[in-house]
Amino acid sequence: MALDHSMPVLIVDDYSTMLRIIRNLLKQIGFEDVDEASDGTQALSKMRDKRYGLVISDWNMEPMTGIELLREVRADDKLNRTPFIMVTAEAKTENVILAKKAGVNNYIVKPFNADTLKSKIQAVFGE
Amino acid sequence: MSRGARGEDILKQPFDRVRDYVAAKSEGEASFGDVVALAEITADSMQTFFAAIDRTIYRELREIAEYITNLRSEIAHLRAGELQKDRLPKAGEHLGAIVAATEEATNSIMEAAEAMLAAAGKDEATFKAVVNDKVMTIFEACSFQDLTGQRIARVVETLEQIENRIGRFAAAVKSDAPAAPAAEDPRERRARELLLNGPQDRGVAIEQADVDALFADKPVSA
Repeated sequence: MALDHSMPVLIVDDYSTMLRIIRNLLKQIGFEDVDEASDGTQALSKMRDKRYGLVISDWNMEPMTGIELLREVRADDKLNRTPFIMVTAEAKTENVILAKKAGVNNYIVKPFNADTLKSKIQAVFGE
Repeated sequence: MSRGARGEDILKQPFDRVRDYVAAKSEGEASFGDVVALAEITADSMQTFFAAIDRTIYRELREIAEYITNLRSEIAHLRAGELQKDRLPKAGEHLGAIVAATEEATNSIMEAAEAMLAAAGKDEATFKAVVNDKVMTIFEACSFQDLTGQRIARVVETLEQIENRIGRFAAAVKSDAPAAPAAEDPRERRARELLLNGPQDRGVAIEQADVDALFADKPVSA
């Protein structure tokens, strides 16, 4: 799958500040079509209404966490091929292993910079 | 000396008297006077026994009363009312204000940065004016650190006071026994099952390079 900067990207985080930071970073990288959701439930609803080329999600949210969202996405025949990057402060090996087993495509530890975000997005799309 | 050993000593003396009396009278048949004498010895021994028990119970009750008095004094030193009505709500207010101040400052800084990015395509004089103005906004926004630092210090002070009071109370009630593990509530169970650990301290948290190694199936650094 090639990296297409015009594809819609969904960012999921319960902190509006973090949504704003990621949106600005994505804009700098070249992504303009960016939607936001404040938790897994809202994200899942948006994903069922619109086809996203990439999901960038936090882990620790309520009521639906990032790992629960990932499991829902991977269990859904229509959504399970959507690239999914976890961007989180959950910086324990067990979290990374769990996310990997659940089918995450990449994992970024907060705090992070634009270069890390860019390189992980590129890695997901094989660039 | 244990209560059982003390009781045995109390009983030993009258029993010795009974044994001596029976030994002295063993040659003839027991008369009515012998029975009365034995009854008197038995009653005497029981009185001695119960008097000793009374003294033991009295001493133990006095110790319990002293313990309760001490406990009441230590509970008073906890000043739970002050913590509940004043310090803890105030600490909560400080933390709420810290979150609000950091959020406000972050938004101001990001607005300034976004405005500078937006001005990048304009003429040089306009761009310079925007940058000068927004850099000043960023400097001003960074002043939040002073206020939040002071508020954090107050919260830390409250936590230290609670720690000291609980430590003193635990010492006073001689609470050195390991506490039974608290029952896990649904929120804690959810956090455990979904690995909601929150941010980790430096040294505990793994680095991005370790994450990358896990994705590349390479060994993670210690």
